[in-house]
Amino acid sequence: MSGLAIDDAAWSSAWRWRSPTDKLLLCLGLVVCASVLPAWPGDVLVGATATALALGPARVPPRIFGRAVRLPMTFIALGTVTAVLSIDDGGIGWAPDAAERAGSLAGSALAGSTAVLLLATTTPISDLLPALRRLGVPAAVVEVASVVYRLVFVLLDSLRTIREAQTARMGYSSLRRTYRSSGALAAAVLTRSWDRARRLQEGLAGRGMETGLRVLPEVLPSSWVFLGATALGVGAIVSVSVALS
Amino acid sequence: MHIAEGFLPPAHAIGWTVAAAPFVVHGARAVVREVRENPESTLLLGAAGAFTFVLSAIKLPSITGSSSHPTGTGAGAILFRPPVMALLGTVVLLFQALLLAHGGLTTLGANAVAFAVVGPWVGYGAYRLTRALGGGLLPGVFAGTAVADLATYVTTSLQLALAFPDPTGGLAGAVVKFLGVFGVTQIPLAIGEGLLGVLLFRALTVNARPELERLGVLRPAAPAAEGPA
Repeated sequence: MSGLAIDDAAWSSAWRWRSPTDKLLLCLGLVVCASVLPAWPGDVLVGATATALALGPARVPPRIFGRAVRLPMTFIALGTVTAVLSIDDGGIGWAPDAAERAGSLAGSALAGSTAVLLLATTTPISDLLPALRRLGVPAAVVEVASVVYRLVFVLLDSLRTIREAQTARMGYSSLRRTYRSSGALAAAVLTRSWDRARRLQEGLAGRGMETGLRVLPEVLPSSWVFLGATALGVGAIVSVSVALS
Repeated sequence: MHIAEGFLPPAHAIGWTVAAAPFVVHGARAVVREVRENPESTLLLGAAGAFTFVLSAIKLPSITGSSSHPTGTGAGAILFRPPVMALLGTVVLLFQALLLAHGGLTTLGANAVAFAVVGPWVGYGAYRLTRALGGGLLPGVFAGTAVADLATYVTTSLQLALAFPDPTGGLAGAVVKFLGVFGVTQIPLAIGEGLLGVLLFRALTVNARPELERLGVLRPAAPAAEGPA
């Protein structure tokens, strides 16, 4: 358990052993459909497909997927309402086509977010980073991103432990104490991150690290059946949307 | 205030990605050069990125009663400089999209412009200006972190206003709308982030002075003059 529900879901997903490139292509196809197709029926089909795939064959726990889908809802709701409000001399009112625009905007955002979540809940970031390398991102940048990913969980663990200790000492019992404790918490996490990085560096230097962190990549072969089904599925969503809109 | 996946029209998403690209590529080149010269920098840069990500797990109480998390862009820019933050910020935004469902992939460019480019540069400018005007480290940190947060929020509001201009008020009307709606939480949060930055750097000057000197945030203390034996 890493402590981040989406990451935990990705590691235990039934699609964990599928090729990350295959899953990336599927999710990007759905994201593009959500961006360019009309809300009805395009976004509805994208959202339904991503949810069905996540809860069905990928076996992502419904509670985790549902909670993750709700996370961007505050922004989507607030942003959508603001976008369809109109300001004129008479004050604030709804734009003439407010309901239609709100549906389209919220639909695109929800469908797109669901498609990204399908990728996030089935593919650990450590599987996606080698794909970035194949896309031409410099090895040094991918290595830094890889270290970020590994250290995030160590630091989150430190953060939880320190916060628990601060809470037990009434560190969050008032606004003033909350700020003071938060500042001390951030400083402790930063100094621990430096300390952890230095110790890692010393350990790797002792093992002869000269040109970077070299590890054996996990080979997850691509599936022609999966890619074919992706092409058919995305094609079907586009065809139905064009026919019905 | 990350723009959610699919919220921007495709043309805007592409446009902001193109706008962010030179800064991110510049940051990537700086990182590649640094890592080539000092391979151990990989771990320190990774630690910096992980710290920026973890800052988003620290909840700050807001005056409006809600709680939100700091952006970390101002503190990151003061500690690690804006060019490096352009790359690290983008990496962190990608991780936030995939691990926390904050932001998205098509909106990564727009969020990178706000969080990884404008926020760090404007915040770092405010920090340098405050220090050049005679302000000490802590006033500079307050200005840098609070202004970075504000600049991020103003940029995001401008991006949304450009995407969704008001039917009667046009772009200006839309800017007022988005600034007004998000300002309710973002302005108190910017002040809160400024205060958190001050508390963070005050703790660092006590507990991690050598690291701050090595990063150039503090000048090395002059060696104490030897007194008569």
